[in-house]
Amino acid sequence: MTDQQLQTSGLSWRRRGRAIGFAANTTAAWLVALVFSFPLIWTFFTALKPGNEVFGAKISFIGSEVLWSNFADAWTEVDFGRLLLNSLVVAAISTALTLVIATLTAFAFARLRFPGRSAIFLLFVITLTLPSEVAVVPLFLGFDQARLADTWFALIIPGLFGAFGAFLLRQFMLQIPGELEEAARLDGASTWRLLISVIVPLVRPALSVLAIFAFLGSWNSFLWPLIILNSSDKWTIPIGIAGFTTQTGTQWELLMAACMMTIAPVVVVVAIAQRQLVAAIGAGAFGGR
Amino acid sequence: MTFVRLDRPEEEVADASVAPPGRPKGRLRRRPLGGPRWVGWAFVLPGLIGLAVFIVIPQVASLILGFSDSTLLGGTRFTGGENFARLLRDPQFINSVIVTSIFVLVYVPANIAISMAMAMWLKTRIAGRNWIRVIFLIPALSPMVANAAVFRLLFQQDGVVNQALAAIGLEPIPWLSDGNWALAVVIGVSVWQSFGYNMIVLGAGLDSISPDVIAASRIDGAGPIRRFVSITLPLVSPALFFTTVLTVIGAWQTFAQAYVITGGGPGNSTMTIMLYLYQTAFTNNQLGYASAIATVLFVIIAIFTLFQLWGQRKWVHYD
Repeated sequence: MTDQQLQTSGLSWRRRGRAIGFAANTTAAWLVALVFSFPLIWTFFTALKPGNEVFGAKISFIGSEVLWSNFADAWTEVDFGRLLLNSLVVAAISTALTLVIATLTAFAFARLRFPGRSAIFLLFVITLTLPSEVAVVPLFLGFDQARLADTWFALIIPGLFGAFGAFLLRQFMLQIPGELEEAARLDGASTWRLLISVIVPLVRPALSVLAIFAFLGSWNSFLWPLIILNSSDKWTIPIGIAGFTTQTGTQWELLMAACMMTIAPVVVVVAIAQRQLVAAIGAGAFGGR
Repeated sequence: MTFVRLDRPEEEVADASVAPPGRPKGRLRRRPLGGPRWVGWAFVLPGLIGLAVFIVIPQVASLILGFSDSTLLGGTRFTGGENFARLLRDPQFINSVIVTSIFVLVYVPANIAISMAMAMWLKTRIAGRNWIRVIFLIPALSPMVANAAVFRLLFQQDGVVNQALAAIGLEPIPWLSDGNWALAVVIGVSVWQSFGYNMIVLGAGLDSISPDVIAASRIDGAGPIRRFVSITLPLVSPALFFTTVLTVIGAWQTFAQAYVITGGGPGNSTMTIMLYLYQTAFTNNQLGYASAIATVLFVIIAIFTLFQLWGQRKWVHYD
């Protein structure tokens, strides 16, 4: 063998070794992902089983029949239709209002100078580390005294003022070059006009990420709705599911159908917006878990 | 990286006042853009009022209510430190502090270790890496209640986990009827649900490390462990610090998992502080006493947070 041949065969061996390593690594990672998603896979199959076959001596994914009707039954038995509508309306209102408030706040912090700005900004930073759920008792008491308990107003409004949204948008607004602002000013744009016509279009990617997080925040919220909502016709999905889970004689197949229908929208949103979500979470824009 | 610096926010403020690139500084001072100075206030006011009314004031009010015997029926009297004296003698409360401490002690390290390990693994060459990332992220962005309901199903006495154990010839485990196992399940679902989120924060931290630095250390002969301890860990420390602080804060407030899976049982073995607070306030209608619990929880969280802020000087490296 010539040196040349030796070298190429050595190279190809190394390349082959690397290819095997790559394949093994990929397989292992997907196996872990599969094990990780087993609870959700099992939920899906459970949702299709006849009620008396949810539990059994042996593991079986498919029951004696595949009952897609469980999903329809969940609408009547768990009243999922009502819960879904409530959750959607509440989340939509929350999202819209969160975006407006966060935009105004972020704009003031990023682009305007006014007395007390540093102090107010510091206050916002401090609230990031406040354990918000600890303060539910006075919050409830306040709404109760104002005769606003068990209303969507009381459900929605306390969740609108988290500081993370304002921070995310501020970060993006700081990156906008000053020339654009000056040009708009020279054209005689008012501050309001500047925000609407120049700043907001430029931070649209951040706004859409914030919208997703605001929506999911409302969609997933549990403790506060559990406390403030009394009448079941106002319940959101998590309250309904919790109630249905903890009652005796749970119809697991219907409950799992409801869980699937609750998680499915999240899966779709995360799959579509994965790149933006990963970037925003990675930037620490929405805190930790 | 664009982390909000939890320790020195004033630097962020200073950073905010820096003129955007390309704008002459002097001119900015002479003629600040943005109209009259009160305009900024107009924009910040809605958010500020909301923050004050719905976040700051409830926190303060909670501290005050802790010294009262408030109930829903009204007739609030201030009772001094009576609630707190009662807390010290309340075995249920002391139990909930112990349960939550165990939860924090196991959950936080497990969460951070798995997040970090997975983030590093996903840095290696894997086909479909982005989709794996999405799979891990899904539970973190789904309702905790739905996730908890799923785990409640899995860990029933005749559920799939025990079926699997039987398949390999093991005895079934009384997951939800034994206190220790039940707490293990609650911790398990919490880790399963949330590490995907921290994994992404830490992954972004890892991404920001220049490959040149790693390459240089490799040339200098640093082994993988040495590289991890001396290069990766310090460089990822801001992200690590950030996730740890917020994960600890969240962990002390654990509620939904325990509420849905075990309801605090069996025999209070999964009764977290938040769950006890909830029951005291909204099942037993002792709002004053519940607020005293909230105060203790607040103090615990504050101590942990301040301790970490203080301790970060020793291990967190900002560039």
